[in-house]
Amino acid sequence: MTARYGMVIDLDRCTGCGACMMACASENNTPALPQASPRTGLTPLLVRQVSNGENGANHREAFIPIMCMQCEYETPCVSVCPQQAVEVDKATGIVMQMPQRCLGCRYCMTACPYHARYFNWWDPAWPAGMEKSLNPGVAVRMRGVVEKCNLCHGRLHAAEEKAAVNGKREIDPADYVPACVEACPTGAIHFGNLADPSDPVSQESRSPDAFRLLARLGTQPKVYYKSKEPWVKALAEPASGRMEVKNV
Amino acid sequence: MKLTRRDLFVWGAGAAAGLAFTPVPWKLLDDTSIWSQNWPWIPQPTRGPVDVKQSFCTLCPRGCAVKIRMAGGWPVGVAGVSANPLTHGALCPLGFGAHQLNWHPKRLRAVRHNGVPSSWDAARSAFVKACTQGPVVIIDGYPGRAASQVFETFTEKRGAYVIALNPETRALSPYEHWTGVPATVLGYDLENAKTIVSFGAPLLDGWGIPGRFTRLWAERAAGIRDPELRLIDIEDSLSHTAAKASKWVSVKTGSEGALAAAVARILIEERLVAAQGPVPRLTLAEASDQTGLTIDAMRDLARMIAAKPPAVVIGNDENPGVAGLNVVLGAVGARGGIVRRSKRSKSYASTDALLANAGAVLVDSSVPWDVVPKTDAECFRFAAWDGGSGRADWLLPAPGFLEELTDVPAAPTSGFETYGIAAQLTKPIHEVQSASQFLASIDPALPTPEQLIHARCADLFKSRAGRVYAKEVRPVASLESAQKLEEQLSAGAIWIGDPPAPGGLKCELKEWPQGIATEPSRDWSATWPVPILPPLATKLYRESALREAPDRRTA
Repeated sequence: MTARYGMVIDLDRCTGCGACMMACASENNTPALPQASPRTGLTPLLVRQVSNGENGANHREAFIPIMCMQCEYETPCVSVCPQQAVEVDKATGIVMQMPQRCLGCRYCMTACPYHARYFNWWDPAWPAGMEKSLNPGVAVRMRGVVEKCNLCHGRLHAAEEKAAVNGKREIDPADYVPACVEACPTGAIHFGNLADPSDPVSQESRSPDAFRLLARLGTQPKVYYKSKEPWVKALAEPASGRMEVKNV
Repeated sequence: MKLTRRDLFVWGAGAAAGLAFTPVPWKLLDDTSIWSQNWPWIPQPTRGPVDVKQSFCTLCPRGCAVKIRMAGGWPVGVAGVSANPLTHGALCPLGFGAHQLNWHPKRLRAVRHNGVPSSWDAARSAFVKACTQGPVVIIDGYPGRAASQVFETFTEKRGAYVIALNPETRALSPYEHWTGVPATVLGYDLENAKTIVSFGAPLLDGWGIPGRFTRLWAERAAGIRDPELRLIDIEDSLSHTAAKASKWVSVKTGSEGALAAAVARILIEERLVAAQGPVPRLTLAEASDQTGLTIDAMRDLARMIAAKPPAVVIGNDENPGVAGLNVVLGAVGARGGIVRRSKRSKSYASTDALLANAGAVLVDSSVPWDVVPKTDAECFRFAAWDGGSGRADWLLPAPGFLEELTDVPAAPTSGFETYGIAAQLTKPIHEVQSASQFLASIDPALPTPEQLIHARCADLFKSRAGRVYAKEVRPVASLESAQKLEEQLSAGAIWIGDPPAPGGLKCELKEWPQGIATEPSRDWSATWPVPILPPLATKLYRESALREAPDRRTA
C-alpha cells in the first residue's frame, strides 16, 4: 500500500512553547552554532507567532509551526533542483532531500513558497565531549547543502526495519512518530497516513476547520492546519496579488 | 602552422566553455561537497548498544517522567513518558536538551575556592573548620528527597535546615499563614476546576508540571473536555498565557492586589458566591484608579469568575490580596480549588533569621542559582554548573543530569502525593560528589540516600495506599513485596497516592489581607533552575522570535 504521510496541526491547541523545535533539533543532530543567526541558522521546524492585528482586549495571538509542507503536486523544490537531490518518495509521499546529491545552489530555497528550507553554512560543531549526546540514528548535518524537515526519516527507517524483522511489509503506525509530534505537550500535532480514509488524521484533514497554507498555489501540501478562529484561517491566504497563482 | 599566444588563449577559453557543458564541474562540485564531510574534525555520534530507559528529570522539583535513549552508555535523546498520568508525555522545552548539559562548557569540573582550583580534601577541612565557628545552615531548594532527610539529620544538633521555596510554592505561602498547613504540601485540584483565574502566573508557559494544565487547556480547545473551562488571565503585559486565555484583563503593573480586592467586594456585595469573607476596605472607585479598569469592567470580571464554579485563583507570587480571593470563592480545601495533598505538617523556618550567626552555609545544587545567602559565614555551594563566580566561597562540583541516584517527591502545585526514583543512568564525567555524600564523609553515621529510599519504599508498601503506574497500573496492595515496589519505581514507574479527601483544609479570614506589588510573570526560561541553558535552547532563542534572550530581557 502506498502511504501519504502528513500532519494536521491544531493551532487552537498550540501554546508556542517551542518543545517541538527543541525535540526536532535534538533528534536531527542540529548543531547550535554561535555564529548562526535567524537568517543563517538551521531550523527545519520554526514556530512563528502571529496576531490578529487588533489592540487592547481584542488582541489575539496564535502560534504556527512551519516546516516543509511536503507538497504533493508540482513540488516547487523538485522542479528546480538541477541535481535531482529532491524527490517525492512514491511509497510514502515524503519530499526527500538527498544531501549527497545536493551541490548547494539554493534554487530550492528560492522556490519554496513556505521558506521551509535552510542552507548549512558551517561544519557541525559542539562543545568538547557533547558529540557523545548526539543521536546515532541520524548523521550530523552536512555543510554546503540545503536541509529541511523530512518527517524524521530516521524513525521511518527504524520502523521499517522493525517490521521487516517481524516478517511484515507494513509498519506499525505506532512505531513511526516524528519527534515534534511526540514532544508536543498539548497534542496539537497529529501525524498519520492521509491516503487511508480510516486514519484519524486523514479524517481530521477533511474537517471544515482544516486548511492549508497558500492552498491556491496548487502544490497540495500534506501539512494541514486547523483552527476554529476565522482570523487564523485568513492567515493561510495573505491578500497579495504577487502570490496569486492559478491552481493547475 | 604557427602556434601563437592568442591561439593558446582561444583554446583555453574554448575548453573552459566546453567543460561547462560536460558533467565534470558539477561532479567536482558534488564530490567536494561530499568529501568535505569526511574530515577528522567532523563530530560523529556515539556508537554502541542502544537502549531505552525510563526515569525522571531532576533538574527542577517538578520531576517530569522521561524516556532516555542511551547509546554506548551515554544519553542521546530525551522524551516524555506518555503513560505517565501527570505529565502525559510532556516535558518543558529545555528538558529535550537536558542530555547535553553534562557536556556544557560551564560544567563545574573541579572544586574551586574563591575562583581558584582546589581539592575535595581542602573543601572538607574548610567545612569542618567553619562548622566550629558557629551553627551550620543547609539550604535546600528541592525538599522532600532522601537527600533532604540527610541534611535534616546532619543539622539536628549542628544548626538548621531551611528550604528555599520556588515561585509556585511561594504563591501558596499565604495559606500556610492562615491554615497552619505547610505550603509544601498544598496543591491545586485543577482537573476539577471550571474557571481558572491567573494573576500573572504563566499557566501556559512553564507553570507547574509541564503537560498538566496545558493538557487540560488543549483538551478543552479540542472539545474533549468541558468546553466551558475558562482561563482568565490578569496581568500587565501580553504573555503567552494572556494570548491564549479565554479573557485577558490588562491591568496596571502592581495593581493585581487591588483588583483582587475589588472582585472580592463585588462577589460579596452581589452575593455571587456562597462562601463569605471580610469585605475589603478598598472601594471600587479606588480600585478603578489603581488598576485602570472601569467599575463596570470589574463587575463583568467578577460575574464571569462566579458564573462557572468551581473557580480557583492562581497567583504568581505570595500576594496575600490575590490569595484572599480564593477564600471568598470558597476554593480553599474544596474540590477544584486548593487542596492538602499530604498529612505532613512540619514547616521550616525562614532563612534570614538563621543566617546571621551561622558559621557555615551549605547550599544544595538544586537551589536556583540566584539564591544568594545574605551571610558573612563561609558559603559552600554544590552545583553541577558554574553560574558565575563570587557567589560562594566554595564551588563544589555536583552530579549532573542522571549522574546520581535520587528520589523524586511530589511536584509543587501537585494535587496529590507522588513518589518516583531517578536511577543513576550514566557515569559522572568529572570527580563529583553530591552534598549528601560530602556530609557522609564528615559524619559516617548519617544515613545514605539509598537507605532512606529503601525505607520510604517499605513505608509506602506498608501503607497499602495508592497505585503504581508502570506498564500497567497496579494498586500497591496488590504488589508482592516492598522490594518489588522499589524495583518498579527504580525502573521509572511512579507511585501516586489516593486523592485527598475534600474538606481537609479550613481557612477563614477575619480581615481582608493587604496586597503587595506582584512580581512580573516569568516564563520557563527565566525559572530554569540551573544557571545555564542547553545549547539547543540557546539556538531557539537566537533563531526564533518565540523567546526573548535573557540578556535582552534584563537589558
